[in-house]
Amino acid sequence: MGRLVIFGLFSLLAVLSAVGIITLRNPVYVVVALLSSLIAVAGIFFTAGAELVGALQLLIYAVAIAVFYIFVVSAVPWEKAKKTESHYRFEGIVSLPVVLFLYVEMLVVFLLGVKASPKGEIRRFIEELGNAEVVGAVLFSKYFLAFEVVSLVLLIGMIGAVLIGRKESQTYEDDTP
Amino acid sequence: MHSFWVDLLVALIKMLVILGVALGVGAFLTWVERKVAAHIQRRPGPMVVGWHGLLQPIADGLKLMTKEDLFPRYGDKFLYHLAILLALVPAVLVFSVVPFGPEFELFGYKVRPILSDVNVGILLVFAFGSMAVYAIALAGWASNSKYPLIASMRKAGVLVSYEVVITFAVMGPLILAGTLSTYEIVERQIEQKLWYIWLQPVAFVVYMFAVLAEMGRVPFDVQEAEAELVTGFTVEYGGMKFGLFPLVEWYVEGITLSAIAVVLFFGGWSPLNVPFVGFVDPLFFLGGLSPFVWFVLKTALLFGFILWLHWTLPRYRIDQITQTAWKVMLPLTLANIVFTALIAPLVWR
Repeated sequence: MGRLVIFGLFSLLAVLSAVGIITLRNPVYVVVALLSSLIAVAGIFFTAGAELVGALQLLIYAVAIAVFYIFVVSAVPWEKAKKTESHYRFEGIVSLPVVLFLYVEMLVVFLLGVKASPKGEIRRFIEELGNAEVVGAVLFSKYFLAFEVVSLVLLIGMIGAVLIGRKESQTYEDDTP
Repeated sequence: MHSFWVDLLVALIKMLVILGVALGVGAFLTWVERKVAAHIQRRPGPMVVGWHGLLQPIADGLKLMTKEDLFPRYGDKFLYHLAILLALVPAVLVFSVVPFGPEFELFGYKVRPILSDVNVGILLVFAFGSMAVYAIALAGWASNSKYPLIASMRKAGVLVSYEVVITFAVMGPLILAGTLSTYEIVERQIEQKLWYIWLQPVAFVVYMFAVLAEMGRVPFDVQEAEAELVTGFTVEYGGMKFGLFPLVEWYVEGITLSAIAVVLFFGGWSPLNVPFVGFVDPLFFLGGLSPFVWFVLKTALLFGFILWLHWTLPRYRIDQITQTAWKVMLPLTLANIVFTALIAPLVWR
């Protein structure tokens, strides 16, 4: 009962802040709403007993990622940040079906997950071994190839970001004889 | 149902104790710091209010509360006040995973002196610890002034670098302990008869650097930098609203991070350690209280060490800070992890 009430509170907070993210006009408020939504989702993970995922949600999303948003936004000139005519309205409408498709996909994955463990066998597994151990065991045995490929993708992304962000290489070439 | 109410009562008492410790001791530490600073510089420090200035924190508090409440023009009132909350709440929340001592029995109930023994306690420490950056970012932005904004940008540079470093530094003790729960880390050290400092001196040094950076202490206090930025992100705050920031950043975070260092490297509540042989307890005459005294003593010594550094060292430049983080500290911690992985089987046995 208590768990349900807390779950409801966190869900309500998550939904309200999500509405805030898309309706608020002030960009810094938007980032604060995003932060609140991320923390609320972490709270939902904690009530569900997925402590590792909750802690990672806090550590990676709520801190590492959202903090970059807040610093980028607070460094953008104010007149630029408040402009709305530069928003990609047409592209937004076009991307709507894709977003809906993603939601349907998430729903399917969720239902498949319920089907795979209808009586909560995975929960017992977690209680025996602990959260971090279960995730580590699965990640480094069954999904090892996928894990390594993802790390490669991240590396490529990082190299790409460095290449795009690095502008001074050209000016050096111009200056040196 | 009966045990549910007892659990609730125990949790409430723990919360009250933690809040009392966090805020009460935090306020008292301002006096400790002023005394230590004064004696390092061969001054007497606060002497007038009470015996050797012992009531100075109360006088300071009264002074801060009765000051005029100023608000910068064109500032953002909501975010300005939210920043104060964002500074205070995560810092106090870190206390919920600090284990103060071993399990004991009171009126037939087993009580663990830790608010919530989550099995990912250490991750939570870093998650809440780094949330301090929001307080600084929002305070800097909402003040609508140049100095606070520069300060918050500097603090972000420092925090982002040292957040990575501190996580890798802590990996060493975590590999040796094989768990992420703070309570169990201490239990493992007692089982293995080993304070992890003996095998992880590199990790400890790097951890202390990162603690100084997170607390914004000298040599990493670029976000305050009195001479350049007045007082950094707190310039536009007045009265108790100003007072809360140093209280949280310097004292509450200081105690929690020292306590976590004690948990990770100095065996939590265990007495003095002879590596691989056992423990020697010069405070045996205290009986059941001795573990708690040990924990408080170690935390206090570590906090005193931080104060000592603060009042002796000069300040680094921002580029030196980030360079040491990425070019010295990070490779050191990576080498330390490899070393730990090699010797870990010896410790586990």
